[in-house]
Amino acid sequence: MARAREEILQDLADGVLNLDEELAVNTAHDAVEAGLDAYDAITNGLVRGMNRAGELYDEEEYFVPELLICSDAMYAALAVLEPHLKKDDSRVRQRCVIGVVEGDTHDIGKNLVKLMLDVGGFEIYDLGRNVPLADFVEKAKEVNADLICLSTLMTTTMNGMATVIEMLKEEGIRDRFKVLVGGGPISQAFADRIGADGYADNAASAVRVAKKVCNVAQAA
Amino acid sequence: MNHKERLLATLAGIPGDRPPFICPGGMMTMVVSEVMDQCHSFWPEAHSDPELMAGLTLAAHELAGIENVGVPFCMTVEAEGMGAQVGLGSKESEPRVERYILERFDQLERLTPLDPQSGRAAVCLEAIRILKRRAPELPVIANLSGPVSLATSLIDPLLYYRALRRDPEAAHRLTRHCTQELQRFGEVLIEAGADLICIADPSATGDIIGRGAFLEIALPYLNQLTDHFKERFGVPTIVHICGNVKALGDGLSQLSAHALSIDSLVGIDVLRELAPGRPTMGNISTILLEQGTPEQLARASRRCLEQGVDILAPACGIGPRTPLANIRAVAESVATPQDRA
Repeated sequence: MARAREEILQDLADGVLNLDEELAVNTAHDAVEAGLDAYDAITNGLVRGMNRAGELYDEEEYFVPELLICSDAMYAALAVLEPHLKKDDSRVRQRCVIGVVEGDTHDIGKNLVKLMLDVGGFEIYDLGRNVPLADFVEKAKEVNADLICLSTLMTTTMNGMATVIEMLKEEGIRDRFKVLVGGGPISQAFADRIGADGYADNAASAVRVAKKVCNVAQAA
Repeated sequence: MNHKERLLATLAGIPGDRPPFICPGGMMTMVVSEVMDQCHSFWPEAHSDPELMAGLTLAAHELAGIENVGVPFCMTVEAEGMGAQVGLGSKESEPRVERYILERFDQLERLTPLDPQSGRAAVCLEAIRILKRRAPELPVIANLSGPVSLATSLIDPLLYYRALRRDPEAAHRLTRHCTQELQRFGEVLIEAGADLICIADPSATGDIIGRGAFLEIALPYLNQLTDHFKERFGVPTIVHICGNVKALGDGLSQLSAHALSIDSLVGIDVLRELAPGRPTMGNISTILLEQGTPEQLARASRRCLEQGVDILAPACGIGPRTPLANIRAVAESVATPQDRA
C-alpha cells in the first residue's frame, strides 16, 4: 500500500535533518512509487529538512560536518526525484555567480552559501576559489546574473571585493547586479563602505539576504 | 629584563616587569610591505631562503618594535614537505596549498615523510639557527601548523569534516600521522634554537567543527604536542585559536598550552573566564591594524592591557598592507622609558 503524503514528506525532511542518507533515499523511492508529485516531495520534504538543518547551524547546534552530511543526504535523494519532475516545474530561477576572491583559497563558507542558495531556488554559477576579480564581472555578464556573491576569509583579500564593485561601475553595469559579500573579516559596515547591496554572517542568513535584495530588484 | 626573559617568564606564569608585545609568525605573520621595502627582502623569495627569512623577521623587530622573531610566515611548510602542491604567492599574498596530495583517506602511503633537512623545512631550520646567533636577546618562535590544519592541507577539508561524522577513525588516523610529523619537526626546530613553539589550528575552530568535534579531534593532538615539547625540552607552547572561542566552552580550559591566544571576536576578560589561571594573549584586531590610525591602535592596545592581557599580540595574521606606524603604536603602548632608550 502506498504511504501517505504527510508521512513521506516527514521522512524526507527527517532523513536530511538527521544525517540519515539511507532514510532520505529510500523515502525518495517510496515517493516515486506512491506517485507523489516530485516537486512537492523536494520542496516540502527535502528542502524543508535542509532549511531546518540551516536553522540548527544558525543556532550553533549543528556545525560544518553536520551540514555537509545533511546536504549529501539531500542531494542523494534529489537525484532519485529529479527525473520525475514535470516539465512545467522548471521555474525561472534567479541566477547567481559566486566565488572566493583572488588570493584566498578558503572555500568552506562559500560552499555552504552556495548549497543554501541552491536549496533556496537560485541557479548557481560557482567560479570556485582564488578567482581573478575580472572573472566575476565577465561571468555575471555572460549568464546575465541577478546576483554576485563574493566571499573571503582573509583581511588581505577583502579589498578585492571593493575592486569588483569598482569594475562594475567602470563598465557602467553596476545597476544590473546585486552584490552580496561575506566571510570571516567582513562586516555590515565594510559592506556599506564598499557599496555592496548586502552582507550575511552565515550561510542561512545569506539566503534570506539574497532573496531580500533580489525581490527589491524585481520590484524596482 | 630582556625581551626573551620577559616572554619566557610570562609563559611560566611569573609576571614580568610589563606585558610583552609579540607577533609569533606562522599564521600570525608579522611581515608587512613596508618592512620588506626597507630591508630589501621580499615575499615570495623569503619563503625559501633562510637569510632573507631571518632578515625579514629581524627587520620587523627593529622597524615595528615587535618583541620576538619567528618563522616561517605561512602554514604550508609541513604540507609541502609531505607532498601537497604549494604556490608561494606574491609580495602581498601568502603561500597556499594548490593541490591536495590525498584524494581519499586510504591513501596515507602517498604522504612523504617530512624531512627537516630538505625543502622549505630546511629553510626554517637554518633561519632559526641564524636568528639564534644574531638575536640572542629575542625569543625565537618556531611556528607549527595545527594537526587538523595540516590534515586539511593534505586532503580536501570538506572530506575531512564529513569524516569527523562518518568515519572518525579515518580522520584520527590522518590527524595522528600529522601530529607525529609535527612532533618530529618541532623537535628539530627546538634543537636548532627555538625558545618556544606556537601552534595555530584555524581549521579546528569551534565555529567550524563545534565543541564536540574539537574535544574529539583537536584537543588530544594539540595537547600531545604541547606536553611532549614541555616534558622533553622544557619548552613552552602557545596555542592560537581562531574564531569565536565561546563555542568551545570548557574545551578551552582543557588545552595544556602555556598560553592561549585568541581572535578579536571575544574579549580577553571572556578568555580568562573560560581558561582561568592561564596567561592570556591577544587580541588587537588585524582589521583595525590595517585600516585604523595610530591613535585608534593605541586605544585598542590600552583596552587589552586594562583587561589584563598578559601578552599583547594581534588577534590573527597582520595583512601585508598594514602601516608600520600602526604596529609601532601598539609596541609603544607597552614600552617603558628603558625600551625607548
